[in-house]
Amino acid sequence: MLTGVVFDIQPFAVHDGPGIRTQVFLKGCPLRCAWCCNPESHAAAPELRHHRARCHTCFQCAAACPSHAIEQGADGLPRIDRRACAQCATHACIDACPNDALAMCGTRMTPDEVVAAVLKDAAFYRNSGGGVTFSGGEPLAQPAFLEACLRGCREAGIATAVSTTGYTTPEVLDAIEPLVDLFLFDLKLADTAQHAFWTGVGNEPVFRSLATLASRCPEKLVLRLPLVPGATDAPQNLATLVDRLTELGLGAVQVAPYHGLGADKYADFGRAPPMSPPPPDAPAVRAATVALRRRIDAR
Amino acid sequence: MFDTFVPREVHGQPSSRRTDDLKQAYLQAPLMIDIEYLRRLTDSHRRTDGMEVLERRAEDHAFALEGLTPVIHPGERIVGHKTRFLRGAIPYANYAAGPFLREMRQQEQDAQQKHISLGEGGGVAHARTAAALGDFEVFSGKFLISRPELAELADLCEFWEDRCLMAVGDRLWKRDFPDAQSIENGWTVGLYTAPHEPCPEGRIVLDFRTALSRGYLAVIADLEARIADFRPGGPEGPDLHFWRAGVRVLRGALTFAARYAAEARRLAAVESAPVRRAELLQMAEACEHVPAHPPRNFREAVQSFWFTYVLGHLEGAHLGYSPGRLDQTLWPYYRDDPTATPAQAVELAEELFVKMTRIEYVASMSWQGLGHGNLYQNLILGGLTADGHPADNALSQAFLQAQINLQMTQPTLSVWWHPSLSDAFCRKAVECVKTGVGYPAFFNLETYLRHEARTTGLPLETLRENAAMGGCTEPTLEGMSYGVVQAGFVNHGKLLDLTMHDGLDPVTGVRMFEPTHPATYAEVVASFQAKMHHAVRSWQQYWNYVMLAHRQTVPLVFCSVFVRDCVGRGRCMDDGGAVNNRTPTTLSSGLVNVSNSLAAIRKVVFEDGACTLNELRDALSADWQGYESLRKRFVAAPKWGNDDDVADGVFLDLYDDYVTWCAGQRNYLGEPYDPSMLAISTPVPFGKACGAFPDGRRAGQPLADGVTSPFPGTDVHGPTAVIRSSSKVDHTRIRGGLLNLKFHPTAIEGDSGANNLLALIRTYFEGPGFHVQFNVVDSQMLRDAQAHPDRYRDLVVRVAGFSAYWVEMSKALQDQVIWRTEHAQC
Ligand code: SF4
Ligand code: SF4
Repeated sequence: MLTGVVFDIQPFAVHDGPGIRTQVFLKGCPLRCAWCCNPESHAAAPELRHHRARCHTCFQCAAACPSHAIEQGADGLPRIDRRACAQCATHACIDACPNDALAMCGTRMTPDEVVAAVLKDAAFYRNSGGGVTFSGGEPLAQPAFLEACLRGCREAGIATAVSTTGYTTPEVLDAIEPLVDLFLFDLKLADTAQHAFWTGVGNEPVFRSLATLASRCPEKLVLRLPLVPGATDAPQNLATLVDRLTELGLGAVQVAPYHGLGADKYADFGRAPPMSPPPPDAPAVRAATVALRRRIDAR
Repeated sequence: MFDTFVPREVHGQPSSRRTDDLKQAYLQAPLMIDIEYLRRLTDSHRRTDGMEVLERRAEDHAFALEGLTPVIHPGERIVGHKTRFLRGAIPYANYAAGPFLREMRQQEQDAQQKHISLGEGGGVAHARTAAALGDFEVFSGKFLISRPELAELADLCEFWEDRCLMAVGDRLWKRDFPDAQSIENGWTVGLYTAPHEPCPEGRIVLDFRTALSRGYLAVIADLEARIADFRPGGPEGPDLHFWRAGVRVLRGALTFAARYAAEARRLAAVESAPVRRAELLQMAEACEHVPAHPPRNFREAVQSFWFTYVLGHLEGAHLGYSPGRLDQTLWPYYRDDPTATPAQAVELAEELFVKMTRIEYVASMSWQGLGHGNLYQNLILGGLTADGHPADNALSQAFLQAQINLQMTQPTLSVWWHPSLSDAFCRKAVECVKTGVGYPAFFNLETYLRHEARTTGLPLETLRENAAMGGCTEPTLEGMSYGVVQAGFVNHGKLLDLTMHDGLDPVTGVRMFEPTHPATYAEVVASFQAKMHHAVRSWQQYWNYVMLAHRQTVPLVFCSVFVRDCVGRGRCMDDGGAVNNRTPTTLSSGLVNVSNSLAAIRKVVFEDGACTLNELRDALSADWQGYESLRKRFVAAPKWGNDDDVADGVFLDLYDDYVTWCAGQRNYLGEPYDPSMLAISTPVPFGKACGAFPDGRRAGQPLADGVTSPFPGTDVHGPTAVIRSSSKVDHTRIRGGLLNLKFHPTAIEGDSGANNLLALIRTYFEGPGFHVQFNVVDSQMLRDAQAHPDRYRDLVVRVAGFSAYWVEMSKALQDQVIWRTEHAQC
């Protein structure tokens, strides 16, 4: 049976698409943006999260683990052997923890289960002009699952949005696009080498997807740019981005300031945060917005 | 997208220097006790021994009105107040003298403080500072009273000690009510709110439309004509005494107004500023004209309303006494006054709001703790006209604007929601919500109409026209309903305690019920329900004795004159003169904790077999100490507020049983009791009185807030799931109900936020729900959330780029959100 991995379903999401929405977070992403605030979205498979802030270092988890995958780390907190956990069937540590400090991040679900969860708030979508938003991770990285979810929602009359990096193949995009009412499309860097440096992958697939959508259904596109000091905020980058958008006949870009607030989640997954520069201040955000708008208006 | 930490999007300013000054004066004023009314009332009462009860009551009240000092404060344009002070309370010793005497003997304070905590800041602090300075004493924890008046108050209270409503009531029920002991035990264990000191009355809205449109002189003429036509003819007929009492009390009321007119003229004569002098003369003219005659313009209409409002308020120790549909009452005068402007309406509304907030309430410490000084004066806007058209108008928006500008704690502002209301009005209401003041609350008119059509059988037109709110969340039909209704609550949480400990109160050791040894889930539920039935029936019957005592001691005469159809029937409200006598409700709170607990018992004890009932009882007695892993299982069991049919089903069954049982009993006037559930602040003292619960709640923690609000920390699927759960309840079966939702400002920011909030309301009311109100989070609340994460499991905070449950965020991130929320506030 077709299943996908979902790491969160957030009802009453009001910032990603119009109206009251349910946001479904699909796990797994081909990019590794240095500023990412959702480390739980990176790996495709379910994984154990250790909420370090809640941990009382009682090590009842270690005692309960049949594979002896937990020991005390140098910082005094439990250190988890992630490779052992990946094979685990019991997750005995979770039940053993008295402080709810351990939880599985990521659940296997069928498309029907996702659609059923989304449909519960259908009345709210109807009254607010809302719907469902699939995000991630990169939702297009689970194409068959996403397609089935979108189709199910569509058949139930629910408006659909997909929040994407655009990093996918033409075939996947062709299959998905007709089922989507709105693409929340994240742009980052115009230069592919820069893109590879900051996100781990080149940007050719991103602009290929963007070009396809721009020619086929520009009305479905909402463009967003995470404003990261020292990375995406360079004037050169903003200028080139606008040039490329202009070539595609596209306009406005929303600016989302980087905030560095997801950094402490990395340790919960046994990883080090890749970068934490100070977030841009309000004038910087305003300046970038103005710069983008002026360039776009000038065209 | 940009600044996602905007604290509260809307923050208003008083519309004029005048109203700003009035607000500031209020904020600076200490809380005062004023004994003037009580002194005059008592003087009269000493002289009127032997008079018929209604006529004596009218004589006493009228005599008091005729001697109250008219005080006009600087800047005021609408005059008339209950006391001489900016913030004053009348100690109604004629209702309950005992608590004041106990208070003066400094006993009660210590006894009650263990359950109730009062506020500390603002006017309370001013009172304490002033007391430290001079010839004042602090009274009842937060009021100032001068030393000589305190001594006089003691005398007055001693006079009333055996004559007051409470004493007369006690002599009735304590002697002859077979269940008297269980009532007294109920108070000991915290099953009921404190004794009826001082008021079983107040959730009433007078017929202001008649008072304004006819004027008092026409009403007096009507009463006199009836008196002239009266011929004695049997016990069923009209009561001559009521009509005579009505004339007396209206004449006293006119003197009250005339004294304000004279005071305005006196001040005008010595006023040096020409603008203010002209104002004072205009005010004098108004007070010479209304309420005797119908108002000639909008401003006089506001003055006339305010006189009637204050005069009714003066008569009794009201709680929940409300202005009702003021946007409808005043509308014809606004509409027909060519000089009236929206700006004038807003400014006058602001002045009214300051005036309402100034009215203070002094009672026993326990009631003050419950109400936190709030008098629940509910002003409800919108709704429908008699013929079913949307009723919102320019005044409706002016009242909302006044609240946006001032953010006073009174009146309690509400909206009768209907899908046909204008978009502009709905948006104004949302703008007001965004100030974070917590008003307006939204009520679903259709739900109430259906309830009332079924219980009263009155025509739909009548219901639409008069649907109002009397008190915090309890609707009533304005100007036509019996207003002596009980105000005490049954604590469902305590009934759960008693069920878990088989009739023995785990906190005090008092045995309330004989043991029944339930062994199955069905028997546990039955045991709870049997206790609830007994507790509710005793409570209802006890209150009927109180209402009987009310009739004998403090029947409402002035208020009855302005409640249809007391004049026509020749009967005061206490004798069934009102058209609608089904107003008395049976109040309770805490049912969500009971249903969560029973659902958890069913799962953990009877399905999973993880422990026995006896082991559970041991865990509860130990307040879960040493039973942490067992507690985890009970916490993990399904809970109300997550759209989980199993957990919700338990609540619905209990709800059904409660409303059916309540409605099976009769009130003092012989009509069925109306079931209701409210909360005010009962979850806190009720929770303090309770031991640990099987839902994982620890001993002493507050109970679930509201009626269908989930227990904090147990709804983990967001506001839409809470609404879906709450929509399963048949809200038409009770009068009242309460759902609180908390939002971080970012969740409702901007136009799209307003749209979403309205969509949320619309969806819930299609459910059909009954009531919803919104709390917009501020940094103070976030700090509280940091200290008590378990109470804020449902709080979603938008952090740029993602939304997160507050409790899921790291301390550092929380700190940052608090910092930025605060930062943007200044
Ligand atoms: S059981 Fe929980 S609290 Fe204890 S060490 Fe493990 S993760 Fe931390
Ligand atoms: S998930 Fe399994 S393997 Fe990993 S720590 Fe927990 S019990 Fe051990």
